[in-house]
Amino acid sequence: MRGRQRWAQRGLLLAAAVYSLFPIYFITVQSLKTPQEDVFGSPFYVIDPTLENYTDLFDSDAEPSVRGYVVVPRVPFVVWLLNSAIVLTSTLVVTLVAAVPAAYALGRLRPPGWRWWRRLLFATYVVPHTILFIPLYQVVLTLGLDDSHLAIVLIYSTMALPFAVWILSAYYRHLPREIEESALVEGASPATAFTRIILPMSRNVLVAAGLFTVGTVGNDFMLASIFLLDRHKQTVAAGLGVMDVSLEELVAVAGVNLAAIPIALLCALFARGYVRGLTAAMLEGA
Amino acid sequence: MAPALLLVLGVLAYPIAWEVWLSVTDFSSITGDGRRFVGLANYRKLLADALFWHASLITLVYFLVTTAAKLALGTALALLLQRPSRARALVFLAVFLPWAYPGGVTVVAWYWMLNPPITTAYSAFFGGIKHSVDAVLGGGAYAFLSVALFNVWRGSSFTAIFLLAGLNAIPTELFDYARLETQSAAQRLRAVTLPLLRPYMALAVFLSFTTAFGDLANVWMLTGGRVVFPLIGTYAYWLGIGAGRFAEAAAWSLSLVPLLAAALVLLFRWFDAPEEARA
Repeated sequence: MRGRQRWAQRGLLLAAAVYSLFPIYFITVQSLKTPQEDVFGSPFYVIDPTLENYTDLFDSDAEPSVRGYVVVPRVPFVVWLLNSAIVLTSTLVVTLVAAVPAAYALGRLRPPGWRWWRRLLFATYVVPHTILFIPLYQVVLTLGLDDSHLAIVLIYSTMALPFAVWILSAYYRHLPREIEESALVEGASPATAFTRIILPMSRNVLVAAGLFTVGTVGNDFMLASIFLLDRHKQTVAAGLGVMDVSLEELVAVAGVNLAAIPIALLCALFARGYVRGLTAAMLEGA
Repeated sequence: MAPALLLVLGVLAYPIAWEVWLSVTDFSSITGDGRRFVGLANYRKLLADALFWHASLITLVYFLVTTAAKLALGTALALLLQRPSRARALVFLAVFLPWAYPGGVTVVAWYWMLNPPITTAYSAFFGGIKHSVDAVLGGGAYAFLSVALFNVWRGSSFTAIFLLAGLNAIPTELFDYARLETQSAAQRLRAVTLPLLRPYMALAVFLSFTTAFGDLANVWMLTGGRVVFPLIGTYAYWLGIGAGRFAEAAAWSLSLVPLLAAALVLLFRWFDAPEEARA
C-alpha cells in the first residue's frame, strides 16, 4: 500500500511537471529549428539544432536576409530588450518605493479608517485595465506621453501597487512593536529603525511584492502595444506583438524565449523567497 | 502613504471619472473635439444591443470555466507540492515557470503554436483539431478554447503557488489533529483542509476574476486581433482603439462595474470573516 502510494505521488509529480513545462519545451524546440526542419521534421524534437533564429535577432541593421526560401525581416530586438529592461526596473523601483511607506502607514501607524483605506486600495486591483484603457489612452495622448516610457511605467506601477501594499501591510501589521521600540531605546531614530531593522526583516515580503510586479509587467502586452508605437521605443512584448505577418514565426518564437529566459531565471532565483513572503503575509492575517 | 495614493488617484481615479463623463457624451473620432452631452443614450443603445448580451454571456462563461479549472488545478498542485518528496523542489520550480514565463511574450508563441502557419510540420495536426472543434461547437470555439487554455495554464501556476503559501501559513498542528480525528484522506480534505484554505481560495478567485475580465490581451493575441467571439473587454477595445467610437466603448467597459462591485463585496465578506474572528 505504501509503495503504491509513493508511486502514485511520483506519477502525479511527473504529470504536474510535464503539464507545466510542455508548452515551454514546445516553443524551445521550434526555436532551434531550421526552416527545412520546421516543415519536414517532427514538432516534438529537433534533429539538427541551430541558433540561427537567435542570432538573427541581433543583427538588426542588415537588409532582410533570405534563408532557405523565406525572407527574414530585421527587427531592432536589442533595442526592445533594452527598453523592456528599463521599463521593468523603473516599474519595480516606483512600485516598491511607493508601496513600502503606504504599507507601513496602513499596517503600523493605523490612521483612522485604515481598514477602509486598505480595502479601497485593494479594490483598485479589481478595476481591470479593460475598463481603463480608453480614458488612459486619451489622457496619455493629451499629455503627449505616447511613446514615452514614463507613462507606461506609471501605469504598470499602479497595476502592481495594490497587491504589493496588501501583502506588505499585512506583514507590518503583525510585526511585534517591541522590535522598533528596542531600537528606539538603543538610540536609533525612527527612520534608522525602519531602514536598518524593519526593511531587512521584510526582505522576503519585498521579494514577493517585487516578483508579483515582474509578473504583472511581464504579462502585459496590450498597454504596451497601445502606448508604444515607435518601433525604437517598444518593449519586447509590444514589438513581437505587432504580429507582423512578415515576421517569421521561428524568429518570433526565438525572440519570445530570449526575452523570457532572464525573467524566468530571476523568478526561479527568488521563487523560495516569493513563497516565504506570501506565507509571511498570510500568517500575519489578511 | 502619500505617493501610493497619488499614483492611484492619478492613474486610476481620474481616468475613471473621465470615462464616466465620456460615456454620457457622443465623443468619437468622427465628431472630433466637439462632444455633446447625450445622457444615457449610450447605455440605452447598449442594453438594446443583442451583441452586448451575447458578449456578456461569453464573458461570464469564460470567467466561470477558467476560474473553476484554475482553482481545481491550483489546489491539486498545491496539495501535491505540500507533501514532502525528493523531487519537490524541482517540481515546484516547474509549476512556478508558467507564471514566471512572461505572459505578454509567451502568448505570441502560443499563437504560433495553436495557429501555425501553413508550412510547419504540425500545421495539419492543429488545423485538424481546429476544424473538428469548430465543426462540433460552432465557429470561434477553437479560439475560445485556446484562449481559455492559455489563461488556465498560466493562472493555475499562480494559484498553485499562492495556495501553497496559504497551506504553509496554516499551523501544522491542525493537520496533525485532523489526522487523528478523521478516517480517510478524502474526509480530511473535505472537512479540514478545504475550509482552512477557503479565505486564500477566495482571494485566488478574486485575482483570477480580474484576469478573466482584464486580460483581453490574451484574447486579442490568440485570435490574431479579430473579434472571433466577443468578450466585453475585447469588444470595447475594438470599438475604442480600433473604430474610434470612444463614448460607446466607455459605456461597454463600464458595464462591468456592477459585476466587479458585487465580487468585491463577496470577497471582503469571505476573506475577512476568519480574520475578524481571530482578532
